[in-house]
Amino acid sequence: MIRVQDSVFDAGVEQRALLEGRSDIGAVVSFTGLVRDFNERPEVQALTLEHYPGMTEAALGEIVEQARSRWVLQGVTVIHRIGRLDPADPIVLVVVASAHRRAAFDACDFIMDYLKTRAPFWKKEHTASGDYWVSERDGDHQDARRWEMST
Amino acid sequence: MPLTNQPLTHLNARGEAHMVDVADKPESRREAAASGLIRMQPATLALLAEGGLPKGDVLATARIAGIQAAKRTHELIPLCHALALSKVAIDFNVDEAQSCVHVIATCRLNGRTGVEMEALTAVSVACLTLYDMCKAVDKEMEIGGIHLDTKTGGKSGDYRRDEAWASRAVAPSIIESAPSPIVTGEGVTGEVSVGPRCDIAAPCLRVKCLAELRERLGVGDVSVPIERLPSSDVAGLKTALKALDARFEGLDQGRVLCAVNQVMASDATPLTDNDEVAFFPPVTGG
Repeated sequence: MIRVQDSVFDAGVEQRALLEGRSDIGAVVSFTGLVRDFNERPEVQALTLEHYPGMTEAALGEIVEQARSRWVLQGVTVIHRIGRLDPADPIVLVVVASAHRRAAFDACDFIMDYLKTRAPFWKKEHTASGDYWVSERDGDHQDARRWEMST
Repeated sequence: MPLTNQPLTHLNARGEAHMVDVADKPESRREAAASGLIRMQPATLALLAEGGLPKGDVLATARIAGIQAAKRTHELIPLCHALALSKVAIDFNVDEAQSCVHVIATCRLNGRTGVEMEALTAVSVACLTLYDMCKAVDKEMEIGGIHLDTKTGGKSGDYRRDEAWASRAVAPSIIESAPSPIVTGEGVTGEVSVGPRCDIAAPCLRVKCLAELRERLGVGDVSVPIERLPSSDVAGLKTALKALDARFEGLDQGRVLCAVNQVMASDATPLTDNDEVAFFPPVTGG
């Protein structure tokens, strides 16, 4: 299940929904990304997430499909928020359920690495010293490349 | 203007609707101006201004619709006379600050009846046509503020709308607080249109600049006729854009990604009529 939304999500509710009625799931891994109050500059007061409607959903779907082709997964939920968010607000949720923990850990990690480098979202941070668009990070690309080498 | 003691001329002594007999009224030069507006999302207004909407030249179509409507007012409003209007003019004022289009209609004739109904009908139908032309991208548009501004000639004398009342009657904007479909940031700074309009006959491409690139170039959406491209691919589109407007030189500054029909693309990706091409900076979500 993939959702792009303005509103806040509840990781517990989403995880329970993914597991409901299932007894074939042996492991569930949940990752939540939050708004930090420091980044390229200190004192981040808020951030605004822009996306490319249509392509965003398609790109997230493609990433989840790739994860499903690499690992046997019983369920995947990806929720990404857009619009204006405050420090400590949740931004992104990835929940992966599998029969075994290794698949669930790895698939969750993979989905986040690919989401950060391939899904069309852009962050603009609002700080005490002005607004700026967040730059891409080399580290994110190195993280994503790990999965190319291991196949 | 007092509302009491003014008999309604379309009701006879028994209170029944009737058409006023104007045969004995003297002819005079009659003129009326009416206006109204249609509010829309800023992104819709930008598309309208750039000619990027799927139905083509929105304002030209709405202008013709307004003129036609003025001439046919008697078919729509039961007790109006058929008039041989000597002039109908429709003007538009694209208001980015209020995210709306103001529509102003002026009607004139030498005759025995006023032409305010013609002006009001012209404004109404021009607004409805604007709605129809833009509804594919924005269903929340709101038509409002339709009123008579001035009326001259005739027995009842000249009329000019009381601005104190007018300013009180301005409807609060419902659009400004609504989320824009693509841009979730705080306002779209410096968005301007460039290039020729995309008319229905000529094959063209719909180009979008997103996020930081949109703000850096000062361009959101633009339509480019395919005939302007030296080659029918993304590289050709970049060349055509730079020829249209020097700001597109910024496409070569820093890392700029491209998607065609919402799938990642490269300079060699071929383009055909009505493709959606988006340029954007590296992604930073998660």
